[in-house]
Amino acid sequence: MATVRVEAAEAGRELGAPAGLDRLRRVLARAGRSLLPFALLLAVWWAVEIAFRLSPAVLPSPWQTISATWPLIQRGILPDYITSSLTRMAVAGLFGVVAGVPIGLLLGSNRYVSVAFAPFLNFFQALSGIAWLPLMLVWFGFGEKTIQAVILYTVFFPVAFNTMTGVRTVPLHYAHALRVLGADRLRLIRDVWIPGALPSILLGLRLGIAYGWRALIAGEMVVGAGGIGFLLFQARSFHQTDRIMDGMILIGLLWLLIDLGFLRPVERATVERWGMLQR
Amino acid sequence: MTRTRLQEIGLGAMPFAGLLAAWWAITNLVHVSMATLPSPAAVWAAASGLWSTGELQTDILTSLGRIALGAGVSIVLGIGLGLIAGLNRPLGDLLLPLASFFNSVSGIAWIPLAITWFGLGTVAVTFIIVNAVFFLIFFNTVLGVRSVPRIMEQAVRTLGGGYRELILHVFLPGALPHIMSGIRSGLGFGWRALIAAELIAATSGLGFLIYDASNFLRSDRILTGILIIGVIWMIIDNLALKPLERRTVERWGTVRTL
Repeated sequence: MATVRVEAAEAGRELGAPAGLDRLRRVLARAGRSLLPFALLLAVWWAVEIAFRLSPAVLPSPWQTISATWPLIQRGILPDYITSSLTRMAVAGLFGVVAGVPIGLLLGSNRYVSVAFAPFLNFFQALSGIAWLPLMLVWFGFGEKTIQAVILYTVFFPVAFNTMTGVRTVPLHYAHALRVLGADRLRLIRDVWIPGALPSILLGLRLGIAYGWRALIAGEMVVGAGGIGFLLFQARSFHQTDRIMDGMILIGLLWLLIDLGFLRPVERATVERWGMLQR
Repeated sequence: MTRTRLQEIGLGAMPFAGLLAAWWAITNLVHVSMATLPSPAAVWAAASGLWSTGELQTDILTSLGRIALGAGVSIVLGIGLGLIAGLNRPLGDLLLPLASFFNSVSGIAWIPLAITWFGLGTVAVTFIIVNAVFFLIFFNTVLGVRSVPRIMEQAVRTLGGGYRELILHVFLPGALPHIMSGIRSGLGFGWRALIAAELIAATSGLGFLIYDASNFLRSDRILTGILIIGVIWMIIDNLALKPLERRTVERWGTVRTL
């Protein structure tokens, strides 16, 4: 049986069947395997809904949930909210890198300064941005500025803290070697500290964006200036549980998009390619 | 205590002292309203006021109770189910994508549904925390169990060990470094989820304290709450989670020298 299949495959290749087809089949099989759990979950959800005859306000059926997206898409609410959430996240992420990395490098370049600032940055990294939300409400009111301030704070500290600790972990003789060869500080930053601290910087960025995304959802719920979090919270006041479910699924999917579409590729293109990952 | 350790503490205190001085200077030399930025003295007064009425203690204990409950449920369920899914390859393959999706959904997104299902209060908050913590612990336990070398399992089997011995002496200790890092990062998310959940879905606890204070523009109370939230987490992380993680890794992990 097995030999027959091998022969058939070889015959296929000889006949000029593209090797791509084989790969396509494998990709499809893998996709099927990872979609199977979700299909099962959907089946369980449906079964629970039918078996217990729950009201749609408690647990809508999968079909209701999916069809509830239609009006949201048609009226342009969903695209609008997705755009504003992702834009907020992108701005915060960019700020985290642009401000957090240089400050981390600066603080990390001196031993005493970095020892002095380690507990400080660690404290503010650990103190969640969500806790600042009420104070930001007092300062900026219910609006865009409040959300932005909270997530900027949330992204900045993990990036700055991890950049600083990253710089401190770069073996000193690399810097010495370059300095002996006549490199100035700028060269040192570019060729030693940034690449050496990169795994740590990316760890900080990943942490910052993960915390920031959650702070964003919470902030949007409270502030009510649009965004996915607001969609969820608004749906709750009208007992539209199907919309809540839509929003939650969307939050999961958007995070996967951020993770697989941005964070992983960045990690692959830098840390893994430069061979700094041990495992 | 060695001299360098003392130096470290002294150096580490300096930025905090600087911030405090700047805060004091701004509030005393420039005229800012109490609602915008209360002075350090005003925050201290608010804190001692809340303490003397017992509100502060109640809120702290409420929040700690909720995080303990949420963490306890997540740890028991996460390790238990993680062991089962880790030992059963097909089951693990089935559940891991689900776990990573629900981990992406994050506990905070469950807030509206939790309110719909359970109303405001401890049940809703705990449910949200469990959703933030459980999946990470589960995920890490499965990965940890899978990373235990086959040869150790076979050694115990050869010597006549059953499932009980295998789990207690091979899989659980082998997976422990993974599990501990799952618990630590899970609780980091859990503590944040707790604060967010209390802001929105509760009428007590530290999160509610600061949100309620913002309705009355009581920035002195908000800052009291923020500082306490930060300090409590630093205590939990530095005195409980970090030492526990370090000792697990040293005892059972691959890292021998730290």
